[in-house]
Amino acid sequence: MKRTYLGEFEEIVLLTVAVLEGQAYGVALTHEIIEQTGRSVRLNQIHAALQRLEDKGMVKSEMGEPTAERGGRRKRLFTVTAYGRRTLQEIQEVRVSLWSRLVNPFKPVTSL
Amino acid sequence: MNASQPPRWADRLLEWFCAPHLLEEVQGDLHERFTRELHVMGTRRANHNYWVNVLRFVRPFALKRQPERYPSVSLFSPAMFQNYLKIALRNLARNKAYSAINIIGLSIGLSAAMLIMLYTKDEVSYDRFHANNPSIYRITSKSLTPAGIVEQLQPYTGVFPGPKFHEGVPEITAFVRYRENHRDMKEGNDIKSQSVHYADTNFFSIFTFPLLSGNPKTALQNPQSVVISEDVAEKNFGTTNALGKTLFFRRDERFEPYTVTGVAKKSPQNSSIKFDVLMPLVIEADEMANNENWFSVFMNTFVLVSPGANLKAVEAKMNRVYVADARESIKIVAKKYGITGRTVYTLQPFTDMHLSKELPASNGLVDESNPTFSYILSGIALFILLIACINFVNLTVARSLKRAKEIGVRKVVGGARTQLIIQFLGESFLLCLVAFLLAIGLIELALPTFNQLANKALALSYLFDVKLVAGYIILFMVTSLLSGFYPALILSGYNPVQTLYSRFNLSGKNYLQKSLVVLQFTLASFLIIASLTIYSQFNFLTSKELGYDDKNLVIIDKSNLARNEANLLKEELEKNGNIIGIAPKNGGRWGTVAKINGETQVNFAYETVNESYLPLFKIPILTGRNFSPAYPSDSSHSVLVNETFVKEAGWKNPIGQVVDFWFRNEKYTVVGVVKDHHYESLSEKIKPQLFTMKASNPYGVVYIKIKPNTETASLRHIEKVFKKLFPLNPYSYQFLDQENLKRYESEAKWKQMMLFGAILTIFISCIGLFGLATLSAERRTKEIGIRKVLGASVGSVVQLLSTDFLKLVSLSFIFAFPAAWYAMNEWLSNYPYRISIGVWMFLATAFIAITIAFFTVGWQSVRAATINPVKSLKAE
Repeated sequence: MKRTYLGEFEEIVLLTVAVLEGQAYGVALTHEIIEQTGRSVRLNQIHAALQRLEDKGMVKSEMGEPTAERGGRRKRLFTVTAYGRRTLQEIQEVRVSLWSRLVNPFKPVTSL
Repeated sequence: MNASQPPRWADRLLEWFCAPHLLEEVQGDLHERFTRELHVMGTRRANHNYWVNVLRFVRPFALKRQPERYPSVSLFSPAMFQNYLKIALRNLARNKAYSAINIIGLSIGLSAAMLIMLYTKDEVSYDRFHANNPSIYRITSKSLTPAGIVEQLQPYTGVFPGPKFHEGVPEITAFVRYRENHRDMKEGNDIKSQSVHYADTNFFSIFTFPLLSGNPKTALQNPQSVVISEDVAEKNFGTTNALGKTLFFRRDERFEPYTVTGVAKKSPQNSSIKFDVLMPLVIEADEMANNENWFSVFMNTFVLVSPGANLKAVEAKMNRVYVADARESIKIVAKKYGITGRTVYTLQPFTDMHLSKELPASNGLVDESNPTFSYILSGIALFILLIACINFVNLTVARSLKRAKEIGVRKVVGGARTQLIIQFLGESFLLCLVAFLLAIGLIELALPTFNQLANKALALSYLFDVKLVAGYIILFMVTSLLSGFYPALILSGYNPVQTLYSRFNLSGKNYLQKSLVVLQFTLASFLIIASLTIYSQFNFLTSKELGYDDKNLVIIDKSNLARNEANLLKEELEKNGNIIGIAPKNGGRWGTVAKINGETQVNFAYETVNESYLPLFKIPILTGRNFSPAYPSDSSHSVLVNETFVKEAGWKNPIGQVVDFWFRNEKYTVVGVVKDHHYESLSEKIKPQLFTMKASNPYGVVYIKIKPNTETASLRHIEKVFKKLFPLNPYSYQFLDQENLKRYESEAKWKQMMLFGAILTIFISCIGLFGLATLSAERRTKEIGIRKVLGASVGSVVQLLSTDFLKLVSLSFIFAFPAAWYAMNEWLSNYPYRISIGVWMFLATAFIAITIAFFTVGWQSVRAATINPVKSLKAE
């Protein structure tokens, strides 16, 4: 089956957009990803990734309401498209099937 | 608030590089981030991070532009232009009064400026048409005191400098001497005094004066040859084909034939050398042998200096030649006349001559010009143009209230500010273009008057000159920009929300408009005062008691009138009862020097008269007596002096004092003191004057007193007698009082010019004021309606509407009066006899300005005040 491949970072951004459910925009995404993954993420990387995802058709966007802290500028709010959701699901399925075929699954580390 | 803003320059950078479709979200995110960091980390860190974050966005995705969703309309799209033009024309057509005021004002201003450019171009183009142009110089000289201070500048030279410098200075490749004289010429059966110019034979190889016929190289070789202008040829021979024909000029008692060897085209208008009759200059051998002729100075000498020569070096060489050649005579003259200074020869570029004040183009050269005249003219023209531009700015801004809606709508449907600026500038260009075309028509009408005022022969065809046309185009551009730029900037800045809600109020303070009105009226009042002052001074000059009676005095020129001829003339003339008396006098202005009180030298006017002169002019003698036939020794021993002479000499008892003409070894005794009178123009102080009857001084003019109202009969008689007695002399007459008036021609010109200037400025200022008053009345229609309903009278409404403007006009006096007072005092100080500037002039100016302004504004106000309030209140 043919599908567009997502980079690891793109996948995380796409997932986070899905998680934020319509409230996803640059700053919120940055904060969410930093919080969830603990990695240092920069605004420009998020913007670049969103740009690529939109080009690939995984997300769509519309302009939101302006806020004062943004100097009266509007947010661009992203939502995941059907195609994006399917892609995420497919990735998930591939991972699950691969995990299930693992004969000797790793034991989770429970103690030091 | 400012502290919580991210760094401005970082924002600017982002706005510049970021693709427009991403800018809003990116900038928004960055700002949001910044606001948060500001609370957490403080201003410094937040600012720093902002910069870093902005710079991180310099990446391909952020730089890449998306194709615009809507085609961007070029600022200069033809469709918009069409729309601008249509709107502009509709606007012009709808506000006829406004358009007319602007166009008329601007065209008057433009035509004034264009005329002055024409004038200035003509002034600076003088003498530039010669093929040898940059290499032609005039030999001039200056006298220095022993201390090396310049005492006098001398534009003229004698017979020597030309040939001697040519011989001794290799860089001087040619010379030509040029002078003017009057010769009696036969014109049919009449004898006419004709102005004749003399020049060395190479005249035509140095100066470029094309000949219609004749060979320019040989035309002046034969001493009996003459080159004439086409006019003279036409007049004498009825054709310009006059080569080889003969003209007769008088030498002593005979008329000698001169052969026409060339017919020259009329000398160009912008030439300092203008000749009708040109003859070869003949310098006798004995004149060239007399070395003292270095000090006889009476003509112009021009030289050609080889291109690239160092002028200073050439001048130094000239002076070496002079000092070497004239060594002996310098000593002799110094001894004879007690001269202590020395003479230094200099070169003056031929093209500088026309506008030079110190070394003017005179003595056979024509059209010498005073550069101040150009400055004043240019000043007035600029005043007028400035006032017209002010009108434009004021009216456009004031009227913009009406167009505020249009501007609002344009902005709402996406008109950019640049587009609006282009639109309004375009309108100003359109108006200026119409004004410009009208101005050309005005120039055509005004040229004759202007020529008379400026003493020129300019024609509209002079306009077709590359430089001048370029100048006019620049003038047009500058005027359009000047008058259109400010309104365009203001109008395009309106906030569409305000204008469309009609909450727009332009009546605010409006300092600019007010100060411009003040400026206009300052200029106008300044010119009114100037013309009043010049007018009174002119009246003073022309009506002041001269100290003698110049009424009914006829002046007849007769050169070298001998004593017996004078007596014969007197006898013959007095046979007619209309002739009251006659008095001969020397011709021209004589001046000389003599010693008094032993060694003191005094300069004075030297008048050769006889005993009938003073009585004829009714000049009183204060002490002593007049010349008298009863004292036959008067002509060789007695002189009369005027009061100034006595004052200068310091004589307590003038009668019997001795005046010593030491260089001629003659001594005279003062026998009478004459009351001071203005024998020269009133622009000169009365100088010491001395009257003599010395027999060897020739008479040159005859004054004839006739009975009042007998001019025709008397003149006929005088002419008959003159022609009978002196058949070989040209006859011409003048009236002394008219000649006296002619001395004030330049003042008369100033008067006219100032008057024109004042009228134009006040006119343009007033139409501007009229426009403003109209707009203000229109704006306040409702207010006036309500006031009237509540019982206001017409008078109070008129007062309400006019007071504002009249206040501005009055304010302008504060600026105009001191400036005018200062300028006029400066001008008057040129005159030894002058009026003092009176308070009445300022009062009159104030009265004139306020009255005119009041009528201008008042007319509008009355109209507004008499409208039925029902109408003005009903209209929505």
